[in-house]
Amino acid sequence: MAINASKSLGDRLSEAPNARTWIGGVSVVLFLAAWQVIGANEIVRSDLISYPGEIAAAAYDLASSGELGANALTTLREFAQGFAPAILAGILLGLGFALSRLARSLFEPLFVAMYTAPLIAFVPLLVVWFGVGSTSKAVTTFLAAVVPIAINTTTGVRETQESWVRALRAFGATRGQIIVKAILPGAMPIIMAGLRLAIGRAIVGVIAAEMYVSTSGVGRMIQTYSTAGRAAEIFVLVGEVSGFGFMCVWLLRRLENRLAPWRARA
Amino acid sequence: MTQLVVENLRLEYPAARGGKPYLALSEANLAVESGEFVTIVGPSGCGKSTLLMLIASLLRATNGTVKLNGKEVAAPGPDRALVFQDFALLPWRTVLKNVEIGLELQRVPVARRRDIARKYIEMVGLSAFEMHYPHQLSGGMRQRVGIARALSVDPEVLLMDEPFGALDAQIRQVMGLELLHIWERDRKTILFVTHDIDEAIYLADRIVVMSASPGRVIREIKVELPRPRGLAIRTSPEFNIYRETLWNLLEEQVRASGSWAAAKATGDR
Repeated sequence: MAINASKSLGDRLSEAPNARTWIGGVSVVLFLAAWQVIGANEIVRSDLISYPGEIAAAAYDLASSGELGANALTTLREFAQGFAPAILAGILLGLGFALSRLARSLFEPLFVAMYTAPLIAFVPLLVVWFGVGSTSKAVTTFLAAVVPIAINTTTGVRETQESWVRALRAFGATRGQIIVKAILPGAMPIIMAGLRLAIGRAIVGVIAAEMYVSTSGVGRMIQTYSTAGRAAEIFVLVGEVSGFGFMCVWLLRRLENRLAPWRARA
Repeated sequence: MTQLVVENLRLEYPAARGGKPYLALSEANLAVESGEFVTIVGPSGCGKSTLLMLIASLLRATNGTVKLNGKEVAAPGPDRALVFQDFALLPWRTVLKNVEIGLELQRVPVARRRDIARKYIEMVGLSAFEMHYPHQLSGGMRQRVGIARALSVDPEVLLMDEPFGALDAQIRQVMGLELLHIWERDRKTILFVTHDIDEAIYLADRIVVMSASPGRVIREIKVELPRPRGLAIRTSPEFNIYRETLWNLLEEQVRASGSWAAAKATGDR
């Protein structure tokens, strides 16, 4: 087959080693330039769509006044207070589901229901139960994160290869040793994928909870600036949140490469 | 000295709904001398792997006992180390860490188990690969890791379940030769399950022949070929006599158990 002859110029460009990053970069620059021109010249009302120059100025103001830092710290703390226990609880629950039929039949339907239910709809209740302070935000984060971690841990453990367990059993390993040295490390790549899912859901959870009712935090700021119709500040805050999520996922991938290097080519 | 004694070992799986109970192994008896190399050969489904798993206590027998140095064994332990056909390595561990696992489970201190593991990695010729992961190794190399892992705990008996069954023919011969070298050095008692007749003769002091449905021991053949043996011995007239004897024994089995089993027993996996 004459594959090469039939390739278009575009195909060939996008296959060159550095071409893809290059084309990506150009498209981002073009997009920002167009946005700037359209917004700054009021072709579309700039209070609705803002524009890069204004957003940069807003970012500088928010950062230099200390407003952004203080609120980000609040959100980060709530996130950590919810996410860290969710990792532990999620893995333990997932292990329980995978290893005990009773636990599975008792709780798994509940968990699947929780996974599909819109957690945000529960935020008002959680505020009633845990108050308007940071506890209700941490609980929201926890609930958002614990479900995908538990479900993935269950999947990961149940897909553990019988040969790994058999090898350890043959040496007379205890049940605990089999869990720690064969089942958990074997399930690690899938648990990690669950953590990545959980980060996304937890960030949405903590921001949404703050937007509903709170006295500080990035979600609170988004709420305030959107009431005031300030598009530029909202873009700054949304960018900050997604930047944080991006960083978390990146860190997780690095951790995964350390914990499960075998998965890369297995 | 008799080291391993298998007495009236029987394994029967209870009947599935509407079916008959399945007799996987019927009254197996076997006595293995210390330092002896015993191969177990038979058609598929004759219970040869089952016998090994029972000796390892990875399966529980319906009846009968397994005694090691006069003491009955009930649970798996490092006194009987296994080498598996599918290698059963832990893919997230390097070669070194894979070989250490048995000692690690016994809580041997890190420095000491590292030294021991390195010794056996060297014995199987993988010193240059101790930081590699299993997926970076060939099948033959993976099984060397499996052998080093089993030897590292200094077992009384090495139980090998078709260890070279997943390897291609040439590698298989080389691995057999290397295994003999290792065995001639430290004279571990070895029980080696295979369906390859040449392999069974070439390695063994004694061959245990099993038959299918129900799985049972039908014959034991002492192999009186001189040691050390090289690959050339396979073309000697004496070797041929053993080969024919085994073929005749197994052919009956194969005919008795139908053409499907025949294909499984004669063909390579």
